[in-house]
Amino acid sequence: MVHTDVTPLVKDEGASSERPARSPVFTRARLLSLMPIVAMVGLAAALTVANPRFIEPRSLVALVDSAAPLAMLAAGATVVVMCGGIDLSIATLASLTSVLLALWVPTLGIGAVPAVVGVAAVAGFIQGTIHVVFRIPSFIVTLGGMTVFSAAALVISGASTIPLVDTGATDWAFTRIGGQVPSSIVITLLAITLISLVMRLTPAGRWVSAIGYSEPAARLAGLPVAAVKLTAFTLSGACAGMAGVLLVARTFSGAPALADSLLLPAVAAIVVGGTAITGGHGGVWRTVAGALIVTMLRVGLSVVGVDSAYESILYGTIIIIAVALTMDRSKVSTVK
Amino acid sequence: MSEAQIDPRIVLEVRDLSKRYPGVVALDRVSLHVKRHEVIGLAGENGAGKSTLLKALVGLVQPDSGSIEVRGTPVHVQNVADAARHGIGMVFQEQSLVPNISAAENILLGCEGRAVRAGIFRTRTLRRLAQAQLDKIGCTVDPGARTETLTFAERQMVEIAKVLGIEERTSVEPIILLDEPTSVLEPEEVEILFGQIQRLREHASVIFVSHRLDEVMRVSDRVYVLRGGQVAGEVDPSRAVPSQLHELMIGTADTGNHYHEDLQARTPPHRPRIVVDSLSGDGFHDVSIDVRQGEIVAIAGVHGSGREDLCRALFGAGQIISGEVTLDGSSLSLTSPRSAVAAGIGYVPAERKVEGMVPVLSVAQNMTLARTELVCRGPLLDHRREAQLVDAWIERLNIRTPSRNTGLGRLSGGNQQKVVLARWLLGDGLKVLLLDHPTRGLDVGAKSEVYLLMRNLANSGVAILLLADSLEEAIAMSDRVFVMNDGEVVSCVPSPPGAKPEPIEIVREMV
Amino acid sequence: MSVQSMESGTRTKGRPAHARGDLIQDFGPAVALVALVAIFAMVSPQFRTVSNLQNVLDSAAVLAVVTVGITFVLLMGSIDLSATGVMAACALSVSLLVANTRNSLDLGTAGVVLAILMGGAFGLLSGLVFVVLKVPSFMTTLGVAAIGIGVATVLFSGIQPSINDESLLGWASNRVLGFTQMTILAAICVIAGWAIQRYTRLGRYASAIGGGEEVLALSGVRVGPYKVAVFALAGCFYGLAAAMVTSQLGSGIVQAGGDYTFAAITAAVVGGTLLSGGRGGVLHSTVGVLIITVLANGLILIGVSPYVQRGVQGLIVVIAVGAAAWPLRRRMTVVK
Repeated sequence: MVHTDVTPLVKDEGASSERPARSPVFTRARLLSLMPIVAMVGLAAALTVANPRFIEPRSLVALVDSAAPLAMLAAGATVVVMCGGIDLSIATLASLTSVLLALWVPTLGIGAVPAVVGVAAVAGFIQGTIHVVFRIPSFIVTLGGMTVFSAAALVISGASTIPLVDTGATDWAFTRIGGQVPSSIVITLLAITLISLVMRLTPAGRWVSAIGYSEPAARLAGLPVAAVKLTAFTLSGACAGMAGVLLVARTFSGAPALADSLLLPAVAAIVVGGTAITGGHGGVWRTVAGALIVTMLRVGLSVVGVDSAYESILYGTIIIIAVALTMDRSKVSTVK
Repeated sequence: MSEAQIDPRIVLEVRDLSKRYPGVVALDRVSLHVKRHEVIGLAGENGAGKSTLLKALVGLVQPDSGSIEVRGTPVHVQNVADAARHGIGMVFQEQSLVPNISAAENILLGCEGRAVRAGIFRTRTLRRLAQAQLDKIGCTVDPGARTETLTFAERQMVEIAKVLGIEERTSVEPIILLDEPTSVLEPEEVEILFGQIQRLREHASVIFVSHRLDEVMRVSDRVYVLRGGQVAGEVDPSRAVPSQLHELMIGTADTGNHYHEDLQARTPPHRPRIVVDSLSGDGFHDVSIDVRQGEIVAIAGVHGSGREDLCRALFGAGQIISGEVTLDGSSLSLTSPRSAVAAGIGYVPAERKVEGMVPVLSVAQNMTLARTELVCRGPLLDHRREAQLVDAWIERLNIRTPSRNTGLGRLSGGNQQKVVLARWLLGDGLKVLLLDHPTRGLDVGAKSEVYLLMRNLANSGVAILLLADSLEEAIAMSDRVFVMNDGEVVSCVPSPPGAKPEPIEIVREMV
Repeated sequence: MSVQSMESGTRTKGRPAHARGDLIQDFGPAVALVALVAIFAMVSPQFRTVSNLQNVLDSAAVLAVVTVGITFVLLMGSIDLSATGVMAACALSVSLLVANTRNSLDLGTAGVVLAILMGGAFGLLSGLVFVVLKVPSFMTTLGVAAIGIGVATVLFSGIQPSINDESLLGWASNRVLGFTQMTILAAICVIAGWAIQRYTRLGRYASAIGGGEEVLALSGVRVGPYKVAVFALAGCFYGLAAAMVTSQLGSGIVQAGGDYTFAAITAAVVGGTLLSGGRGGVLHSTVGVLIITVLANGLILIGVSPYVQRGVQGLIVVIAVGAAAWPLRRRMTVVK
């Protein structure tokens, strides 16, 4: 510790009776933090009981593999939620990306991949700009964006599936490394690690938290609020684009509604993972846990023999419960 | 034996009412009484406890001890509706009307009675009932008008009419609390209000709170003066002089070295640091002030004086319409807080919990929030450098925290404020520090520490602009006091050490 | 209540609301509607036939009913994303309750009433979660939408029920005064909605909640039950709209809810019912419905792809919200 050569600016007068609050180990916040891990372990245990083959390596790998595109999709949106916003356009943007990829592969080959991710990032950037400049609530901007991207996908594709002509362009996203590990898992983990490292090793993480939790305070501390939000939305778009690429790789085609049904599971993954919609708390690794939980639930339903029709009911219910539990109620005096 | 048994004319009696907040005593054994058809004035500085007392009477705040008796019966007021049941109603300082419905609906909100049958509004009855209330104060506002189309004065009358509805519902004469009703009124409107208060007195009792002493004296039968949460005195306006009231309001207590006046520089600073020239913006106009290197300048003013708006505008967080601000000779473009920070200006906001700190981040993260580049190597955070820097300041400022990684929300108010202050002290670039009510909510010990810090900062060359919690603080801490009233700077009073002005001189200009 | 807050808040000289701003808000959309009709009438000869104008009103019927329902929620300052899901569940329900090809029930009008009540029940669920658990409305209704779709899927169980009930089918085919029965029903709903908004305590309090919820609470009004009631009321309108869609389609399908959530929000906002609450109303929203429908009809007649339309709607809602919020932008420094 550096000893300053300037005398302390404030003498300890001993008059102040203020003491910092004692912090009990098991605060509600800590318990909630652990909730996703507990849920994951509990679900895995339950599924193994129902079907002992669940715990076999092959089945586990398959589970994580099918959760990968969902995790990728939700990762960028997680950062937006941490900033205090929401991105409802991720699913249809991923669908649009799939259409563009299938269309551009014949001419651009593997170069189509960075191209479509770039387009998706730009789409996110535009939404972020509208939100920041015109001060329109993010859920309206992205609700509008959702519709625009869906329409664009339908128009560009002529409302039909476009087969992938040259699978060489996307094989790398749907292969097994060393014959064992699905590349999509590796790609997703790489992306999430990258995001997480940037948040942790640069000021970005604390800035995002500050903006999400107390935007007025962040602004008055001179933080570049607009830039951070714009980056979050751009990132969300890029992740949606990458998710689209992963999906094309495994379906060998692009379709205008390919990823549309993933919006609800993605939102569920974010909130179940423990990222609070009131902003400030959360993280992309939590969303990974959330994506695994959501996928396990889906698998679990079919294992137990429940109709997949109940999935939707399940998503809806767990979203409500997860949000109710993780919300910071001291922040919300009047709920709208 | 309660006074009501001695004097049946007493409608409201408050006995030894006390209320504490962490680190602050808002009410300290306050006792007063109101007689039937009386208008009682409540005077006192900001923070003296007037608002808290009114809020306790109307149920928005629960007192810690003491009693409230209405017409001889002790009551426990739980909320506003409860207060109404006991006959107590308040016209709030920040208006409490729903803007997008009609005046009549606002007047009868929550107690429409016969105006709503089986869930259906009967418009004519609604109008009639509302008109009856408006007639009581001779108000000519159209009850069917949408509330937001009315002027402030008209809306205030609607609020008074609303409060008078208590009479119908409880069939007792209401006790009406008026919280700073005149601060935004034009002089003609103030006259109309006074006329209404005289009318009110015919079938109600009134408590009238204002910082404008001349008004309080004019309108009231008796005036209680609050200071520091206590009743400093009770005055008969027909016989008292304003200066007596001033004395009671401000007191002549010897503050000891609470404000560290011994550290105030004897020779006044003279090199200008920040110069504001004819600045106009949202809430203030044509303001010209300056703060010199090493000087502490206070701006005194009441609510609506524009001083908070000016302060924010100087930090790029408010609207500037015209005028110029120069710092060390170069003109500033204050478009956002970022630009102000880059220029070397810091700001400690009044609302610490909402605007000052981010409770979910740690002490270290909060402290480095504004100058994060100081703890970064390139784009990456340098945790070691951060640890060194933050620990140094924790020690220097005597911040009591388990560690630098503790969440800021867990610290006490005084320590939180020190962290927020430290934010601007990192590195060397601080030139101007804008302090908006920096000691609000802090206990005596913490306040003294902040004052010491301010002295040291000033002596090292920083120019400080202070919006003080109390006039006493402003005079004691500053080298000069600017007084703002109604958006304009009306005077500048020197406040050198050893020759401090009397608060009366300044209060005169403020009101 | 802390000491800080009691002294905070500078009092501003409250300026009376601009009469001019009100005029624009009240009559702007109507003027826009007239302009649109005029433009399309000039550009397309098919547009200006009587039968086409009847078509326009007929195609507006379902959207009008949904929008009346959602208007009440918007007046409160909340949002309702559940219309699509609730409609799906109610559509399947009504198609299984009236004479149909899957079971032997034949409840006729009672079946329609039950569907309406089911819509109300979903609304009740939304309202209760919103008020009791304090989950923000967009999350609550997103979850309820998912639950609704799930219920619809479960009821569908793979076999599409076609309806044989003559009177219900007649809604879409029988004509009265040149319009379908459904259109008349929709007109009745609009009038009823307007009456509820203007004359009942529920309607007026909904608007008051949007304009100043804290004031109502201070005046001793228990705001919670009114909020729940508003969501339930909206749900009933969605239930009726579901019956209307089923009549049009002749059978119950999970996609019965179509795009109505988004279209209804767009219509309401375009018509002048602001998202912030307390402004606009049923009549305003209905003008918005007509604008959207005329736009859709006109665009089709001049050859624009229906998919592009959806995109256009997406842009419109963003622009409309932005335009409404622009005058307030300085005060809205924190937008979530």
